[in-house]
Amino acid sequence: MSATSQVSPQSYNYDIVKMFTIMALVWGILGMFTGVYIASELTWPILNFDTPEITFGRLRPVHTTLVIFGFGGSALFATSYYVVQRTCQTRLWGELLPSYTFWGWQIAVASAAVSYMLGYTQAREYAEMVWPIDILIAVTWVAYLVIYVMTLRKRSQPHIYVANWFFIAFILATAILHIFNNMAMPVGLFSLSSYSLHAGVQDAMTQWWYGHNAVGFFLTAAFLGMMYYFVPKQAGRPVYSYRLSIIHFWALIFLYMWVGAHHLHWTALPDWTSTLAATFSILLLLPSWGGMINGIMTLSGAWERLRSDPVVRFLIVALAFYGMSTFEGPLMSLKSVNALSHYTDWTIGHVHSGALGWVAMVTFGSFYHLIPRLWETEFYSKRLINVHFYLAVVGIILYISALWVAGIGQGLMWRAFDSYGNLAYTFIETVEFLHLPYFMRTLGGAFFVTGIIVMGYNTYMTIRKSRLEKAEFEAKIAAKMASAQ
Amino acid sequence: MKHETIETNAAWLIVLVFIVISIGGLAEIVPLYFIDDTVEDVKVDGIETVRPYSPLEVRGRDIYMREGCYLCHSQMIRPFRDEALRYGHYSLAAESKFDHPFQWGSKRTGPDLARVGKKYSNQWHVEHLTAPRSVVKESIMPNYPWLLKTDLEYKDIAERMKALKMVGVPYSETKAEYEANVKRFGKDVAKFLDVNQAENNLMAQALANNYDGNKSNITEMDALVAYLQVLGTMVDFSKFEDGYFSTFR
Amino acid sequence: MSTDSNSKVQGSKGSKQAVQTTGHAWDGDIQEFNNPLPTWWVWAFYATIVFAVIYWVLYPAWPIGRDYTKGVMNDIEYTDASGKTVTRHWNTRSLLDKEMVQAKAEQKKYLDQLAAASIEEIAKDDEKSNFAYSMAKVLFADNCAACHQPGGAGVVGSYPNLADDDWLWGGSFKDIKTTITNGRNGYMPSFKAALSSEKIDDVAEYVLSLSKHKTDAAKTARGKAIFNGQEGGCYYCHTKAGTGMVSMGSANLTDSIWTLADVPSADTLEAKKAAVKQVIMNGVNRKMPVWKERLTDTQIKILAFYVHQLGGGK
Ligand code: HEC
Ligand code: HEC
Ligand code: HEC
Ligand code: HEM
Ligand code: HEM
Ligand SMILES: [Ca+2]
Ligand SMILES: [Ca+2]
Ligand SMILES: [Cu+2]
Repeated sequence: MSATSQVSPQSYNYDIVKMFTIMALVWGILGMFTGVYIASELTWPILNFDTPEITFGRLRPVHTTLVIFGFGGSALFATSYYVVQRTCQTRLWGELLPSYTFWGWQIAVASAAVSYMLGYTQAREYAEMVWPIDILIAVTWVAYLVIYVMTLRKRSQPHIYVANWFFIAFILATAILHIFNNMAMPVGLFSLSSYSLHAGVQDAMTQWWYGHNAVGFFLTAAFLGMMYYFVPKQAGRPVYSYRLSIIHFWALIFLYMWVGAHHLHWTALPDWTSTLAATFSILLLLPSWGGMINGIMTLSGAWERLRSDPVVRFLIVALAFYGMSTFEGPLMSLKSVNALSHYTDWTIGHVHSGALGWVAMVTFGSFYHLIPRLWETEFYSKRLINVHFYLAVVGIILYISALWVAGIGQGLMWRAFDSYGNLAYTFIETVEFLHLPYFMRTLGGAFFVTGIIVMGYNTYMTIRKSRLEKAEFEAKIAAKMASAQ
Repeated sequence: MKHETIETNAAWLIVLVFIVISIGGLAEIVPLYFIDDTVEDVKVDGIETVRPYSPLEVRGRDIYMREGCYLCHSQMIRPFRDEALRYGHYSLAAESKFDHPFQWGSKRTGPDLARVGKKYSNQWHVEHLTAPRSVVKESIMPNYPWLLKTDLEYKDIAERMKALKMVGVPYSETKAEYEANVKRFGKDVAKFLDVNQAENNLMAQALANNYDGNKSNITEMDALVAYLQVLGTMVDFSKFEDGYFSTFR
Repeated sequence: MSTDSNSKVQGSKGSKQAVQTTGHAWDGDIQEFNNPLPTWWVWAFYATIVFAVIYWVLYPAWPIGRDYTKGVMNDIEYTDASGKTVTRHWNTRSLLDKEMVQAKAEQKKYLDQLAAASIEEIAKDDEKSNFAYSMAKVLFADNCAACHQPGGAGVVGSYPNLADDDWLWGGSFKDIKTTITNGRNGYMPSFKAALSSEKIDDVAEYVLSLSKHKTDAAKTARGKAIFNGQEGGCYYCHTKAGTGMVSMGSANLTDSIWTLADVPSADTLEAKKAAVKQVIMNGVNRKMPVWKERLTDTQIKILAFYVHQLGGGK
């Protein structure tokens, strides 16, 4: 069964992968720059400049959308299209439809960002897109599903590789979540405004069922799919345990859908729902770690590469942060811990240990593997890959340690009582307290963004090098042909 | 079944994944519509005191969403002593039952706003929203000077209320619906739930209360302040026994 | 669920060649070992399941029909204000009910003392006043400082200074308490339409003369006539002497303390007059919110004490 390449790289559809890869980097740079900007606004509010389009409230969804859907989404399109072709040993199904998914997705991301700045939003976190963009996304997503399934169906491998299980679960879940969470009544056919179908407590539950699984499937399951291809590939070793991958896959996708209400602990949501969310979040810990174990143990035979191979370094750090944030998450899902962490910057710190540490790092690692293969050349500078690595790690550490201080400090101050049993701090004292951590976070973000800019430059130079090499090669051939005549 | 069957057959894989991921949401969301205790019963003398927003408040809420206030402000007071002392009675599910979408928020960069209604004067809100640091020196909230300068767009207010009606908010269009509202919310409230009078009601409320301090126009500030001033004011907790709302949990 | 069985368990240290895998390979070289689940992982997973099941038994957890399981052996019990024992299944709201009852009991000693004490007694007694300050500090900062500013300095033109000894509505403990309890509406009509700009100028000249500014005698005389006559009617509210009336919160114009017209920070007489004219032309309509719906009687009392101590309580 162990098939060797029956399909030559030329017959894979790499163009679509290249386009998504480039756009992932573009959105990554823009989105993370926006992150640094909104972080600066919280540090120095003057930066809002009395300009509606760039005030914090309008720019924050621009940041989340660009990084999650622009950067994360494009990276997932790129890698899933690459992985499905290589592990099925067949060309991506369809020619026009994949290009459609590219343009559909890019237009959705770009128009979402612009529309928030202009004040058009549905005011649902991570689903702020107005209804026409929601429809565009839904159609694009169905096309993605069709392409993916059709490619799987024409695979020349009997077995569907585990990475594809994760990608399929991600595509299906995202479709369901997106459609049900965005059900809304437009004010008119020519109005961008709409009102959501659900209200109050049911709406909150629906939104966080979606919101959590935007995390669970978009930012986790799908990136596990990415991990399951690029880790063994880069390590040059077999995946540690097939059995573990089966168990943790099914447990993960089942359990994830139950935990959304941990975003609503102690609210007007009934306590029973909250209990289910808390317990299922605890149940989720080990299935989540299953992915980490499989990844780390796969790399463990290649420890010596840690010193020499920056790609392996990105991947191992990503897995470590994945393990860390999926431990922190269940911890924060306990009602008593959430009582402290909810509404504070601890949540934001948790988000970014997942988002920067896991999502972005695994993407960087995978891209450093992917890009030279797509453009058939060596990376322009290995040193710059190392520089990127250190910038990113310093950035993450600054970011999340600042926000642990901020979040836990803020949470403790809000609930502190003095010896008489009266509130010890005023609200505005907590705002003042946050200034320094906010500054540190901004600094950390600046490191991180510098890192991805370095990567952008390195990639640009790599692609340029590839063009030059190709031109040189063709010139040589032409010269040979000419001399042969 | 051997896992081999699933991983060698794309159709199986998809169907099983679909089933497995559907269960959680169904089990948690559907019961919220059927379990009676979920949304509290808040009636005083047979009249529901949690009412849909007036036309002006609807537009104010739209602006609240547009500016992304929910990204810094929660509207959900939790049942903790510190929050009770700082913000007031914990929020009820009933208090957001006409909120499409809900605005509970997930981050408190600024204070909770669930009960900010009537806490400050209109004038203070105008000053604060225009330039927060002019009244609260250490504030990190952005300035919103344009709210005062921009006339409120309200030509489509009836359309907006109709859309809200479609998703379940009891605004009235027919006589019968109006009468039902009179029974449910009392006459004064029923009047401004009438879609046919939407524009008039909106103008009347803005003029009568002059939220932005300038009677010659109706600005976005009028609408936003009207919305802020109603937040958390619909339930008079002194009318309910201690612990009454705990019986819904 | 069973897994491919043609594989043998493989130590993670096994070298690449010697390894037995599941036998599949993708993309040329991606293979899979079939190591067993790590034992610690399996046991930890079981432990989380046990945790979850126990949790479901103890707490409200599963929806059934139109109801849900309430949890057993985990009731919340407390004695409420009326001495009744309340027992409820565990839920977040009753948890608070109980905590509030307990917290109240802990503070009861102080609250009872304060309820009975007069302001002088509070001020004299360290224990009482320390408690009052501890409570008032955050109450004032979270509720009042947005307008009256930290320390009660106020904003000239918008929010009165609470730290000086000039009071619109009276500076006694009782007056202050009434102000906080019911709120206030400071109202003065606009005279833009009623008086010509020359007349407003004259009145302003007179108003400034009340606080010993050197003004033009002729203008001041004309202004006085307007102030104390039917035309302006200012004396209705400010009295003929210009000292104001606590009953309607009208400002004392003779004391050189200004809450609306920013006279002190203007350099020239013209500028001072401009500030005064502004008030006369526009009138005043400013509101102090009502607090009785938001704060308890004791909280208001303690705030009144705090405000009274800020500087100028009478
Ligand atoms: C960058 C975060 C941020 C955004 C965005 C923001 N606020 Fe604030 N808000 C704050 C902070 C911090 C405070 C506390 C300091 C103060 O009073 O200004 C605050 C205070 C308030 C208060 C006073 C609450 C109280 O009880 O004292 C109100 C009302 C308010 N904001 C309304 C709004 C509205 C309406 C919007 C949107 C148009 C908005 N805020 C947007 C951060 C923000
Ligand atoms: C929305 C702004 C606002 C808030 C919040 C506010 N006040 Fe006031 N307060 C005012 C205004 C305006 C006046 C002046 C009313 C007038 O002109 O008659 C005033 C007047 C007063 C006075 C009377 C001053 C005098 O000279 O007689 C006292 C005392 C006072 N406030 C105390 C408080 C306390 C205590 C709190 C908090 C519990 C508070 N205020 C909250 C706006 C506010
Ligand atoms: C209906 C009653 C009323 C009448 C008539 C009235 N005032 Fe006043 N005036 C007030 C009140 C009340 C205040 C204080 C408002 C506040 O603090 O909110 C005030 C404040 C003022 C102030 C500001 C004082 C300061 O401390 O900054 C000036 C100046 C003033 N009045 C002048 C006049 C003059 C001149 C006239 C007549 C042309 C006049 N008032 C007529 C009620 C009145
Ligand atoms: C340079 C790096 C980044 C910086 C400086 C940054 C900064 C920020 C800031 C300031 C916020 C708002 C927090 C608040 O409201 O208090 C935020 C929110 C958020 N960011 Fe980032 N960010 C960065 C990268 C990323 C990346 C790469 C992702 C995802 C892949 C991401 C995902 C999110 C999400 C999901 C939120 C919303 C969190 C919540 O609502 O709880 N960010 N970010
Ligand atoms: C087992 C895994 C995880 C669990 C149980 C979990 C749990 C939680 C909890 C309890 C919160 C706080 C909710 C609140 O108080 O408002 C949270 C927030 C969040 N988590 Fe996780 N987490 C997990 C993994 C991750 C990972 C890997 C990421 C990757 C990016 C992530 C991204 C987020 C985001 C974006 C939020 C903020 C949502 C918002 O408020 O806007 N989480 N998570
Ligand atoms: Ca949407
Ligand atoms: Ca106006
Ligand atoms: Cu979550």
